[in-house]
Amino acid sequence: MSFWRRNRAFFKLAIVTNLEYRFNYILDSIGQPIVTSGVELAFWSAIFASTGQQTIAGFDLHSYMAYAIWASFMARISVNWMYEFRMIEEVESGGLNTLLVRPMSFFEYYLSQFLGYKIVTTLISLTIPVAVTVALGFPMIWSRLLPAMGLAVYYLVFLFIMSFIVVTFAFHLTRIQGISVAKNLALWIFSGELLPLDIFPEPYRSALIHLPFSSGVFIPVAYITGRVDATVLYSGVLSISVGIAALSAIAYPMWKWGLRRYVGTGA
Amino acid sequence: MSSPFAIETTDLFRSYRTYEKNPGIWGSLQGFWNRKYTEKMALAATNLQIEPGQIVGMVGANGAGKTTLIKVLSGLIVPSGGQAKVLGFTPWERDYRYLRQMTVLLGQKNQLWWDISPNDSYSLLADIYDLDRGKAKNRVQELAGLLDCGSVLKTQLRRLSLGERMKMEIIGCLLHDPKILFLDEPTIGLDIVAQTAIRKFLAEYVKEKKPTVILTSHYMDDIAKLADRLLLISKGQIVYDGTVPGFAQKSKSKQKITFALTEPCAHPLILAEQHFPQGTLQFSVEVTDHQLPSTMNQITSLTGITDLRLEQVDFEEVIHDFMRGG
Repeated sequence: MSFWRRNRAFFKLAIVTNLEYRFNYILDSIGQPIVTSGVELAFWSAIFASTGQQTIAGFDLHSYMAYAIWASFMARISVNWMYEFRMIEEVESGGLNTLLVRPMSFFEYYLSQFLGYKIVTTLISLTIPVAVTVALGFPMIWSRLLPAMGLAVYYLVFLFIMSFIVVTFAFHLTRIQGISVAKNLALWIFSGELLPLDIFPEPYRSALIHLPFSSGVFIPVAYITGRVDATVLYSGVLSISVGIAALSAIAYPMWKWGLRRYVGTGA
Repeated sequence: MSSPFAIETTDLFRSYRTYEKNPGIWGSLQGFWNRKYTEKMALAATNLQIEPGQIVGMVGANGAGKTTLIKVLSGLIVPSGGQAKVLGFTPWERDYRYLRQMTVLLGQKNQLWWDISPNDSYSLLADIYDLDRGKAKNRVQELAGLLDCGSVLKTQLRRLSLGERMKMEIIGCLLHDPKILFLDEPTIGLDIVAQTAIRKFLAEYVKEKKPTVILTSHYMDDIAKLADRLLLISKGQIVYDGTVPGFAQKSKSKQKITFALTEPCAHPLILAEQHFPQGTLQFSVEVTDHQLPSTMNQITSLTGITDLRLEQVDFEEVIHDFMRGG
């Protein structure tokens, strides 16, 4: 009972905190998706215009535009810059002190906030790709949207455990923003945000799609835009599950090891 | 709890590894390839027994080891060696049953949520500690009334003054009625009015609730007015463990004579083994009981004395003398 009670409270905390700063919240949930969608549309239009081809790797401009619009939306969900940096900062600055002395875990505190923030902003941001897709008539299978979103939310748990592991390096190295940036740039490619993974040649294509990272952007977007079928979605669920199991096995020992080094600086 | 003590430590110590950097760019380049680490003893082997309900004041210079001891006992950091039991729990295992019974106030650190109002923070704390919402609300009102800060409960924490923030932090710390309080510099940086209000509040609180308290402060008044046991820490070691009055008794300097002359003194003076050069106008002499009569005789034989006063030496000065080895 107390577990759910406090985690519900952390979930709400993320919403309350972010609503305190209205301008930043609106910019983050609406402004950013509009800008990234615009950039992606311009990018693919330019590529098709310069190559003069009707299709690339079997897909036409509308397919790529649909992919680009939804990929920028999904990518916005499936990154953890903000909370990962906050978590690193807690360890670096000693802010972790205030969390360690309370009957709760750092992991649940940030996971619940992360999910709270993502789910609420996602519902608002969703209006942008929906509006663009309807307005411009991009290919889209609406009945697939809910399962795709479910996969994205499941991916968030995997993503968060990855962030948690990155944070444990801060106990030993203090300044680790470089690791965080490198990881997020790698995810930019591996998730399919930069380019659809199905345009890579084999065997890279299959390898990338079967890694859990593809469930962040490529699989849900490819599924709703009709590039892949449900079997790929299920393989995404499976690869995330394996990923979560593997990361969890190392996350807890790394955290315990880090805490032994922690000095609670700043107090 | 089998032990009769609320807090018990056996050879508890903590050392840190620190990196020594030579100054300048060359030092940074050297440090990039070849870092020289040294081990620093933050807390030497400490054996401590504190009974339930005792209020222990810890005094020591910056870096003496006070905060390290609090951090270990509250479970924030893991010691390098030794044992500790607080309410029967090993603190750094962070058992929730232990964390629900203790609180830490780190005066130099915000513990409430910066971006939301204290009321929202207290509501969150009620959820974390699984408290009854109605009772928690009443408790906030009660504590805010005692601290005279009810008007700012709905204001975002970041917009409050330091004194108001500290009051909010104190309410947050006490919301769950902890049995153990670790208070690290609760009045640091506050003006005299806020210091007095918080000191008064804490005195009333401990009298009513009888928690076990470990308090550190740079303001000796905090310790003198609140603590019934004094620990003096120097360079990671406890150098005095006893009562506050006992410590004052132990001190050699107990009274201070101050006076002025209408004309600068014509010759150098030696009063209670302290030298005053020719031309001195204002005098301040610390004396023991034994030195008092002869020194007073010496002073009253001087001509043109004004504003002669005899007062007890300030507790803060006694501590400083002790730490200096005086």
